[in-house]
Amino acid sequence: MSLQEFWDYLVLGVMLGSLYAVIAIGYTLVYGVLQLLNFAHSEVFMLGAYGSLIVLQFVSPADNPSALASIGYVALAMAGSALFGGVTAYGLEKVAYRPLRRRGAPRLIFLITAIGASFFLYNLAGKLFGRDPMTLPEMYDNHNVLTIFGAGVNVTQLLQFATAVVMMICLDLLVNRTKLGKGIRAVAQDAEVASLMGVDIDRVISRTFVIGGVMGGVAGFLFANLNQASYTMGFIPGITAFAAAVVGGIGNIRGAMAGGILIGIVETMTVPLLGDQWRSVSAMVVLILVLMFRPMGILGERVGRAA
Amino acid sequence: MLNKTIVKLAIPLAVGALALTGCGGGSGSDGDTLKIAFQGPLSGDNVALGENMQNGVKLAIDQANAKGELDVKLEYVAGDDQGLPDKATAAAQKLIDDPGIVAVVGPAFSGATNTASPLYAESGLVTVSPSATNPTLTDPKNKFTSLLRGVPNDNQQGAAMATYFAKKLNAKKVYLLDDKTDYGAGLAGVAEEGLKAAGIEVVKKSVPQKTPDYSATAKDVVNSKADALIYAGYYQDAAPLAKKLKEAGYKGAAISGDGVNDAKFIELSGDASENWLLTCPCTDATVEAGTKAFSADYQKAFNRAPGTYSAEAYDITNMIIEQIKTMKGDVQREALRDALAKASYKGLTKTFSFDENGEFKGTDVYLYQVKGGKIAYQGNVNELVG
Repeated sequence: MSLQEFWDYLVLGVMLGSLYAVIAIGYTLVYGVLQLLNFAHSEVFMLGAYGSLIVLQFVSPADNPSALASIGYVALAMAGSALFGGVTAYGLEKVAYRPLRRRGAPRLIFLITAIGASFFLYNLAGKLFGRDPMTLPEMYDNHNVLTIFGAGVNVTQLLQFATAVVMMICLDLLVNRTKLGKGIRAVAQDAEVASLMGVDIDRVISRTFVIGGVMGGVAGFLFANLNQASYTMGFIPGITAFAAAVVGGIGNIRGAMAGGILIGIVETMTVPLLGDQWRSVSAMVVLILVLMFRPMGILGERVGRAA
Repeated sequence: MLNKTIVKLAIPLAVGALALTGCGGGSGSDGDTLKIAFQGPLSGDNVALGENMQNGVKLAIDQANAKGELDVKLEYVAGDDQGLPDKATAAAQKLIDDPGIVAVVGPAFSGATNTASPLYAESGLVTVSPSATNPTLTDPKNKFTSLLRGVPNDNQQGAAMATYFAKKLNAKKVYLLDDKTDYGAGLAGVAEEGLKAAGIEVVKKSVPQKTPDYSATAKDVVNSKADALIYAGYYQDAAPLAKKLKEAGYKGAAISGDGVNDAKFIELSGDASENWLLTCPCTDATVEAGTKAFSADYQKAFNRAPGTYSAEAYDITNMIIEQIKTMKGDVQREALRDALAKASYKGLTKTFSFDENGEFKGTDVYLYQVKGGKIAYQGNVNELVG
């Protein structure tokens, strides 16, 4: 691999990793407040993609749109995906998890419910939207806009990376600087004590789901824009992002970001070095190695403590 | 304790199941209905491919019933194997155990066909697959005596790709990519042999189905400096690959097989699919009047356009129905199997006839190219290379 090729793949890896990071945050946030592995998050991601698709079908972008129109289409699509993602996550918490929480169900029941909800949602999406994959209509002229270390970056990639970074910065500020963020951290640290201190746990949990859902939904849009939308699109990125969350330290938001980028780079680098068929294997090998030497993940476990 | 209970329950169940298997074969028509089944993925990841074929089968049955030329009523039975080899045996057994079923269209996938065929062979229930193209299935050593293949196998297509690259494009280095399915790997294997025999350098890689991002793969294709690419897989993955190849600035030729030869490929990849070459063992069905009527009927019945192998499944079902017609009410499984094996039926897509191993007769492969957003018919590969 020449140096130029290395930079090419590195840039691609960071781009992909930024998406994994955004999805991983959804897992990590929910784990932080509920100690729940929300496996239905991959379906939030998938429905986000369909959300943007529906909006775009509504506005049906014209051929060769002007720059301003392009920005408008992207903003609308993103809003659609955020809405779908947020509503799905909110509904999921309300319908699937809250009743269990009220009854104090054991943690295993939550996990099984999450898997069941995931099955239900993706089969429902298959019924509603059809089993064939769909692509987003073209919203802008996708050309190379800048060069990093000699590697060309096109509009799609730039959009993807910039959106991911902006979302992560906003989330970091939200968790560390706002009252809601304080609530999230408090519930993550000790839900019981937090409620004694006047934190409305139900509200905090519900909002945490919505935040994770909005981010997951937008990630779904970015992913569909990069690739295509289908009812099973959530599975592989979902599992990979979950691995990224664990690698970074599940429950730790900055850890999820670091883990996502790391897994993205490892996966992409695998392609020229070992071949495509080893992509997922190498991601899981990273997971195992990290768990062997740092079982709590790279940056440690909990929202409350580390972030 | 629990284990003992399970064993106690399991023994009589197993015995019962065996007894049921025993009475599977030899039964035939009773009363006024005959059943034709389809086995393929009707749930799970590959449901789209299964539904394409299932609809073709259903349409043929409904039309036959509506015409009323038969003295019996035909009924459709779904056999869902999710396209998975380990689910296929249970699905097959369920169909075999229904004495009303006289023929099965399917199994759809090569892997599933491989595990289900011994059961069908034992029962005498005939299976005609519209789409299982792995070459090894009709090897006489397998003793898949109930399997008839309604489609030319992958050897023909793989060889045709290799010949075309060697003789027509004068390619020096080919990047060969398969999707790790039985279909893709089989096709790629044959193509690789042909290319190497022609003295062409081959870079062979596999990229599993549903890889989330093809950017790195596309980069790798460009970096390999290959002047031509073969993708052995299905359109769902070929479409994002084509897009990423265009973004990565790939300028060489690209060719793929019948798994990609679908209008959906263009719909999903847009202008990135322009100039892609596609092979198919099928002639251009859209120009024939018969297929146009089929497309319209299909659209009306299912509110969508026919997909890959819909027309083939329709043809095969009609072929079965024609044999049932000649049997005049007395339809036995073995007799129907033997009659179909010897039959020759001119369908909408191609003429169906089989050699003594149940292999499809006819080896012609046709070339298509994406031009101006349409899959344009180019002609017979053998004639094109001269």
